[in-house]
Amino acid sequence: MIDNLVLGFQTALTPTNLLWCFVGVLLGTIIGLLPGLGSTTGVAVLLPLTLTFEPVTALIMLAGIYYGSQYGGTITSVLISTPGEAASVVTTFDGYQMARNGRAGAALSIAAIGSFVAAIFSLLLLVVLAPPFAQFAINFGPPENLAVMILGLATIVSFSGESKLKGLSMATAGILLACVGSDAASGVARYTFGQVDLLGGIPFVQVMIGLFAVGEVLYQIKQGAVAPLRARFRDLMITRAELARSRGAIARGSVIGFVLGCLPGAGSTLASFMAYGIEKRVSKHSDEFGKGAIEGVASPESANNAAANANFVPTLALGIPGGGTTAVLLGAFTVYGIQPGPLLFKEQPDLVWGLLASFFIGNVLLLVLNLPLAPLFAQLLRIPYGYMYPLILLTSFVGAYSIDNNMFSVWLVFVFGVVGYLLKRLDLPMAPLVLGLVIGPLFEKALVQTSAQGDGDLTFIFQRPLALVILAIAAALIAVPALLRRRRKQLERVAH
Amino acid sequence: MKNNKIAIGLLALALAGCGANTADTADAGGAGWKPRGNVTMIVPFGAGGGSDIAGRAMAGAIEKSTTPKVNISVENREGGSGAVGYSFLLSKKGDGNRLLATESALLTLPAAGNVTFTYKDFTPIMKIAEDGSLMVVPKASPYKTCAELVDAAKKARVPVGVAAAFGIDNFTFKMIEKSEGVEFQRVPTESGGELTTALLGNQIQAALLNPGEVVGQLRSGDLRALCATTDKRYEYPELKDIATAKEQGIDVSYANFRGILAPGGIPAEAKAYWIKAAQNLLKSPEYDKYVKDNYLQPVQAEGDQFTTTLEQLNQQITSVK
Repeated sequence: MIDNLVLGFQTALTPTNLLWCFVGVLLGTIIGLLPGLGSTTGVAVLLPLTLTFEPVTALIMLAGIYYGSQYGGTITSVLISTPGEAASVVTTFDGYQMARNGRAGAALSIAAIGSFVAAIFSLLLLVVLAPPFAQFAINFGPPENLAVMILGLATIVSFSGESKLKGLSMATAGILLACVGSDAASGVARYTFGQVDLLGGIPFVQVMIGLFAVGEVLYQIKQGAVAPLRARFRDLMITRAELARSRGAIARGSVIGFVLGCLPGAGSTLASFMAYGIEKRVSKHSDEFGKGAIEGVASPESANNAAANANFVPTLALGIPGGGTTAVLLGAFTVYGIQPGPLLFKEQPDLVWGLLASFFIGNVLLLVLNLPLAPLFAQLLRIPYGYMYPLILLTSFVGAYSIDNNMFSVWLVFVFGVVGYLLKRLDLPMAPLVLGLVIGPLFEKALVQTSAQGDGDLTFIFQRPLALVILAIAAALIAVPALLRRRRKQLERVAH
Repeated sequence: MKNNKIAIGLLALALAGCGANTADTADAGGAGWKPRGNVTMIVPFGAGGGSDIAGRAMAGAIEKSTTPKVNISVENREGGSGAVGYSFLLSKKGDGNRLLATESALLTLPAAGNVTFTYKDFTPIMKIAEDGSLMVVPKASPYKTCAELVDAAKKARVPVGVAAAFGIDNFTFKMIEKSEGVEFQRVPTESGGELTTALLGNQIQAALLNPGEVVGQLRSGDLRALCATTDKRYEYPELKDIATAKEQGIDVSYANFRGILAPGGIPAEAKAYWIKAAQNLLKSPEYDKYVKDNYLQPVQAEGDQFTTTLEQLNQQITSVK
């Protein structure tokens, strides 16, 4: 193990590899910043340019783009409520509120620190325990996935804000929106009204750009001239107290992110939602969530980074893609004449360990890059909003178009921008809507697969112990806080 | 930050350290027609998949092998299992500057009935290769041949995975079912990667996958191939021992194709121009590498021959829909 790591660092620390690692994480940060342009597209587009490189150098750079983008996506989420990456949507909930409270620097700092800690944690697990985790991942079949999605739906209560009824209604609306498109089992078109563009369903990234970025701009315009934030430089630094508060959130976020990231298909977006939902249930400051709680930034940011790294568990150990971007990276292996698969560790040790070692180096580079920049980026908020919003609108619409070169995406962003504005005016929470839209298709797929596997008999799920454990956690997540509350009331009554 | 495409373009330029584009001034091969300005290669699926790899390889090879150089940009227009991309090409009737990286969705989407086009609405340029399928099972599976798998399905429920409802693997299963009078239980997934995962975890009993998707797992012994649903055996050393379904008494063969499609109603000169460009593509070293890397079979058909191939394959598919 140690020998392998030494070998890996020897490979990763050559000047060429170090340089391209830096280029990769820098490009990743920039790609992460741009809404619509995700790491999957970024890696696919830049892949042909690395064809003349040594395979290990090329993969180090391409992987750098991937995990670098997880850092970059945060910046716009916090500053202008425009998530650059799908996995950074959750960060807008509290990150943007922190920015409005003049704590943008702290939000960006904790995101960088949380991301870094989570990355190192998950990399250590990846180095030491990739094969057993990979085994765990493949034993995770449709029933277990279904249980995870039910757990995800159970966290909706966390996203509801003050009124449970409003939260559940919005979540239902999200799940209904997720029904548009061709059906998971038979491919029959549902609610598409003959529109080809709707066959693929209502895409989540466009919806979130509309709701969060455009919706916020419209709302701010309605409010009238917003005074630029007068944050002093001192206020932009993270405080010791904030760091202390975030410790638990980062730890929990890292674990949740790693476990979900190991599972092929679940991905970092779901991980960030789940981490946030669970954090809110267990946090002492749960009433501050949604109003600028630093845990609300620390937990999803740790989770999405841990998940991004954990995605490499099935990718490297089994040769199956953990998510969209790792699928492109697997394709890159083939282009360099390397056959991904279970034999990769054995046949290409210097490549695999060099790549893994470069992840450590790349994350250190990202921390060094992001921490000093956090207060600097936060200065952007001094720009009067009147100059900012045309820029935000432009980025949103151009970003939407660049996702699939389709005007339909631009219209979607426009429509959901108006919807986002109306929801804000009516004080309806948007987070459950987005969660419903994210989980809806995954839930349906898991349900259809479980049904097919169990021959239409859903009690099949009760024969799977792991699925039962996850369902029990979901039940506890719903029941325990309510029971505690009742118990507290009873005790109070007794005391009176 | 204002324009992703410009941003990416700049990144790309900075990275490659090159910039100059060749202006298309000279006449192209005397045919009289040549593309004006930029040409787009549409990929009707997302980045990173088999179609994307094919689209980018074909665009790159045409750029390199055509004089004067044509600039081809690759555009992913995904959605609806390819329906969005093909429908876009349908709307570009007569536009010689658009190409599309095509495969069996061209036939399976119309067969499923959610779209308004058929293969007849487009101009087939060149079939560049075939990408056949292997019937793959987990290591511990009791079955040794496809015939045994089919026999098992006659007696009991056999859950198999399919990549998509409109996927060619689903139609190939239907062909086996029709030919052998059996029925498999379908577990729908969304990609070959998911199918491989499900096989490794024993969640499904079999799946049809392209060799390029599973050769790593086959070599390590974690998965086994029972038969190839191709007409002839593969010649690659890793695959040459896999018998065809026909050899095992199942009269089914279907080869997914990869190729280039242009919009319908383009000028005859434009068609001739692209066929010529595709012929050059087939001679390029990039093409050989693409075929080998992805375990394809270099079976080609150009222009009207490709149309004839499509007719035959379409009959195969519509006979089981």
